[in-house]
Amino acid sequence: MTNQTYKRKRSPVNGLFEWYNNLSLERRRTIMGYIFIMPFILGFLLWWLAPALVAGYLSFHRWNLISPPRFIGFDNFERLFSDPLIVTSLKATFIYTVTSVPLGLVFAFFLAVLINTKIRGIAIFRTIYYLPTIVPFVASAILWAWILNTEFGLLNAGLRSLGFAKVAWLQEPGWTMTSFIIMSMWAVGGPMIIFLAGLQGIPDVYYEAADIDGAGHWDKLWRITLPLMSPIIFFNLVIGLIGAAQEFVRAYLITGGGPQNSTLFLVLYIYRTAFQSQRMGYAAVLSWVLFIILMILSYLVFRYLGSRVYYENPGE
Amino acid sequence: MDRLSRRNFLKMMGMTGATLAASSGLNPFLMRALAQDPTQISFGGWGGVAEDEGVQAAIEIFMAENPNIAVEWRHIPDAGEFGRVLLTDIAAGTAPDAAFILSDQYETLRANGALLDITDLIESDPLLGQSDYFIQPQESFRCADNEGRWHGIGSTWVAHHIYYNAELFEEAGITPPGFQDDEIWDWDTFIEVCKALTVDANGFHPDDAEFDSDNIQQFAVDWPLWWQPIGSAVYSNGGQLFTDDGLCGLDSPEAMEAMQRLSDLIYVHHVAPRGATLTDLGMTNTQMVDNGRLAMAVDGSWALSWMNPSLMTVGMGTGALPMMAQPAAVMQAHFHSVLASTENPQEAWEWVRFLATPFYQEHFAKIGLWIPNQTSMLTEVGLEGWITEGIHPSNYSQFATDYLPAHGQAVRLPNGWVEAQNDYIAPAFEALAAGEPAADIFPDAVAAANDVLRSYQ
Repeated sequence: MTNQTYKRKRSPVNGLFEWYNNLSLERRRTIMGYIFIMPFILGFLLWWLAPALVAGYLSFHRWNLISPPRFIGFDNFERLFSDPLIVTSLKATFIYTVTSVPLGLVFAFFLAVLINTKIRGIAIFRTIYYLPTIVPFVASAILWAWILNTEFGLLNAGLRSLGFAKVAWLQEPGWTMTSFIIMSMWAVGGPMIIFLAGLQGIPDVYYEAADIDGAGHWDKLWRITLPLMSPIIFFNLVIGLIGAAQEFVRAYLITGGGPQNSTLFLVLYIYRTAFQSQRMGYAAVLSWVLFIILMILSYLVFRYLGSRVYYENPGE
Repeated sequence: MDRLSRRNFLKMMGMTGATLAASSGLNPFLMRALAQDPTQISFGGWGGVAEDEGVQAAIEIFMAENPNIAVEWRHIPDAGEFGRVLLTDIAAGTAPDAAFILSDQYETLRANGALLDITDLIESDPLLGQSDYFIQPQESFRCADNEGRWHGIGSTWVAHHIYYNAELFEEAGITPPGFQDDEIWDWDTFIEVCKALTVDANGFHPDDAEFDSDNIQQFAVDWPLWWQPIGSAVYSNGGQLFTDDGLCGLDSPEAMEAMQRLSDLIYVHHVAPRGATLTDLGMTNTQMVDNGRLAMAVDGSWALSWMNPSLMTVGMGTGALPMMAQPAAVMQAHFHSVLASTENPQEAWEWVRFLATPFYQEHFAKIGLWIPNQTSMLTEVGLEGWITEGIHPSNYSQFATDYLPAHGQAVRLPNGWVEAQNDYIAPAFEALAAGEPAADIFPDAVAAANDVLRSYQ
């Protein structure tokens, strides 16, 4: 085989490999590192940064999806201060977040402690408690709409059998938020599993030492379990806050934001503003509002609660 | 055996693929394209199984009659979802050539130039151009803008009326309502009938001292509280859903009185169930009528496709809505339009025109879903084409031939109505359904809604 023949048959891929193999080890490692993080980088650029930049551009435009965007300066921002529904949606989102997240954490932690016991068939209980999390959102929303039905719902049937009056869970504006908080308890399987993993990671020697010192269950919970679990509680808290502030699917499917806008959570309002009212520019501003709120919330949580988290190996 | 070269391998794969495609039968559409090279147009729309099948049947007939045009059906089951997809398709430059257009999107799309002006095409058409082809003036009112330009043709008409359980009326010795003028109840008579047909668990009626309004066994009527059935009551009382300048008119004394009367059915007379619809009770209004827990359901004419004599286990009938000052029922329906972005306006028009001919409407009118908007279908011969025994009660043709042309109230949902309704009017209706007085709710809600509507003008 002549050299000429060899050159003709060499493909660009072979050339690339040849070039790569001739690089120094450090360079090769750097390139390989970038290749491994490329899925995230691409996802970040395409699904986060690009939409964020477009949202920034649209914030100064009026765009109804039909005609080309029209520059309107700060009109969308001014609208923010005269829009009564932004107050309504922020209030609904705030109440839901600050109520459902702590309750959900306590409930998930309680369940995790329960299913952390070493009894026969505990795997079955763990599966049962985790099952609601793998039920599709739409299916669980329809199920809850039936459970909370005023006349024939399971919840009211239970209340009536105990002698209580029926409650219009999804019709009375005063009750809808309670209904959504109850529904949020249904899906605590995710944090519960994370808590369970954390609980199982606590070495038994701490509890054995506490037993020797005569500590009771309560002392062990407060002085061993909770401090060692604090990084996990903190993680679940941050993730829970971000998730609750973005509540959408249940409200979209069950109440559509009603009755009387009582479940008009911010993300639902953004969606409605964008795709029903066709105010993409204002919806972009609302999206930035949500982003800024989440930033501030995360900062406050890290600032005031982060220092209380106990890390066994803080340097690692 | 010789070593398989890359070139030979590709040759073999190409031949295999061609053989497989030929032997399995190419896509019928592709075959037609190869044979006749028809112009392909896309048509977007929504609907359940019956509507999907109806459109597909229409496409088949149309393509047989017009071999030079191939219609691709872009179907999304949910109407609201379709509306949102259509908007994003327009934004992306991938809008269909023709489409169903939601009645609440029509004016917005028209105002933004998204729909093709088809006025000249209609006027020059030997069939659709006839002055009496459509029911008038309703059809022109909804389709044309203030300059008389059409950007779509109404698919049909739908309007609310009463569906009743005939056996409950017979037991109570009450003559049910009909569609002729002398068969339409005035409001006071309606209330009296409702009280006679409402029974609590102990057999008492609302005017009895022992009546238990928390334990009603049989309700007289369910009147849904959303814009179309509410609008019917408002027009009946001399009010307007929309004023002549395209603003919301629900804050007029007549409108608020009409809405208060609907609320009173629930909270004062105790003849209607609480809640926006009977689905809150865990059953549909159809089930409630069928099992005798509801004597009358006010619902759209489309509900006849499932609330009809052949599907109900009890005797059932239909009649006009009761009147306050005058008989009235709001008429509306979606539109068929050619999108302005189409590269094949003539072919898209041919298709939209086909949808406005009797064949297409008959298909849906026969199953009780639609009421024709074409006068030729309201003649004696025309009625034979769609009135169906077992689907349409014996007096139903009068609803289409007499009641709607005389008392039907066409509405034009203004540009911006979706936002105004979502943000202010729908929550006001919910407050009304919750028992708040209309006079306390609507002045502020309508003022806010009208601010929105003005911002679109």
